[in-house]
Amino acid sequence: MQKDRSPQTVSLSSFWSTFIAMARKELIIMARYPVNFVASFGQVFLTVAVFTLAGRLFYDAPAGQSSLSNGSNPAGIVVYGFVLYLFLNDTLWTIGYNVRNEQVQGTLEQLYLSPASKFANLVARITNILIWTGLLTIAGGALMSVLIGRLPAENLPLGLYLFILTLMGTFGVGFAFAALTLQIKETAQTLANLLQFAFLVLCANFFPFAALPPFLLHLSRLIPLAYAVDAFRSTLMGFPEGFPELAPFRVEFWIVTIFGLVMPFLGYYLYRASERKARKEGSLSNY
Amino acid sequence: MNTQANISAMLASTRMRLQFLSRYPGQLVMDLVLPIVLAAMPIFLGSAGGASNAEAVFEANTGTSNYVAYLLIGSAVLNLVTNAFWHMAYWLRREQELGTLETLYQAPTPRIWIAGGTAIYSAVRSVSTAILAYGIGCWIMHVDPFTGEVGLALIFVLVGLIPLYSLTLLFGAVILKVKEANALVSLMQWVVIFLMGVYYPITIFPPLVKLLSLLFPPTWMTNGVRAALLGVGYFFGTWYKDLAVLWIFMLITPWLGWWVFTRVENNVRRNEGMGQY
Repeated sequence: MQKDRSPQTVSLSSFWSTFIAMARKELIIMARYPVNFVASFGQVFLTVAVFTLAGRLFYDAPAGQSSLSNGSNPAGIVVYGFVLYLFLNDTLWTIGYNVRNEQVQGTLEQLYLSPASKFANLVARITNILIWTGLLTIAGGALMSVLIGRLPAENLPLGLYLFILTLMGTFGVGFAFAALTLQIKETAQTLANLLQFAFLVLCANFFPFAALPPFLLHLSRLIPLAYAVDAFRSTLMGFPEGFPELAPFRVEFWIVTIFGLVMPFLGYYLYRASERKARKEGSLSNY
Repeated sequence: MNTQANISAMLASTRMRLQFLSRYPGQLVMDLVLPIVLAAMPIFLGSAGGASNAEAVFEANTGTSNYVAYLLIGSAVLNLVTNAFWHMAYWLRREQELGTLETLYQAPTPRIWIAGGTAIYSAVRSVSTAILAYGIGCWIMHVDPFTGEVGLALIFVLVGLIPLYSLTLLFGAVILKVKEANALVSLMQWVVIFLMGVYYPITIFPPLVKLLSLLFPPTWMTNGVRAALLGVGYFFGTWYKDLAVLWIFMLITPWLGWWVFTRVENNVRRNEGMGQY
């Protein structure tokens, strides 16, 4: 019977070795499609331009006319929401997509026969993408602030803390989604698309929570990620009047901290359980 | 093959694709949800994050204070355009992946008819879901979807479909040549969205970008629908002049699209072969 090697039973050097090997493999695959690199960069710029030009219609009166605006500027809300959106997109769905790809390519079964750390294997899948997204974020954020206006940047260490904890939490959600992918197979892609858009609205990445109708706002309050978005952008905007919107900052801070610390373990536990179930049923390579 | 047989093959192709679609109802749900969600972003941003007199500012920029309908129309047309690009551009790629493309080239039916079948499928799917999404979006956001001249708006959509689907042949040619071109098509899709003024009037562009935008048929379609329903004004002042421009596109673009596509296709057939991917 095959020994079930959890991260605790794999040595640290073996963990790193697996992590680096898998990250290198993903990097080689990415490097073979340079068009994708350029296209994704262009796509971020165009997405930013389209949505910011749309936003400007509401607060920027045309030249030659007296300004109808009250001078308010949603730069911080949009830019910081956009930054989190880019990272969340990667961490939430990429792990599941990758597991699915291994199934389709027929290599998942073999990967599970190897003694390599499963945890390192999962995390390595998004390392390169996160670095690439970091670069996209800097460029996209700069473009957005040029288009929308000066970007507020207050409380940077606290913002960084919230950002890291949020990313950790989304890693956990990503593991849980990968677990679901092993079970629901082809339906995962459609579900991911639906959830992606549901999260986009409920976590209010591109607009204030105040714009949501009350019934959607109630749903938002059930999602830890929504508090993460609210706390992150409120912190970096220097807590302007009315922010944070969902709960007092102290409450949001603790929600984000607990989410970031607990979710990776919970998500990974769910993934291992789903993987064991698939192995017992012999459905690991079925897709 | 005579025309009747060709039409029969074209309709069979449409029916087959609609049958495939019926097996994936999730895709239809996405077609309905996506335009509403994409319109909701700027609507929410504008109504809560912009100025306190956001409606007045919006009216000064666009010519209408009905920003919900304005943005929903943009997003419904966007759905039409992106579906057209993905369905048509990936038609041949999909055949390649399924291993049926080489066989398709041996069939006596000219490919223009099979492409026509795919275009009809795509148009039926996109137009019906775009209209439904617009209606549902207006209902959710408490706006009357049937203000203005609904019939005229539909004429703009229907006339605009022919140049739109003709242009997708250019993308089909790119797919044949580049093969793994998902990212490239996604990028081109965003270029199109940017140029056709999905969420804003193209008057905000500098002259050169505005000229590029006017060379793209969906720009006329989007503005025609908005002008008919919301009275934002036609590019040439009257509806028949704008519609005439779409008719000119309708006469030119099918030939252009087919010419480019067949040239690339012949080139691919002479070299690596159609079945390779």
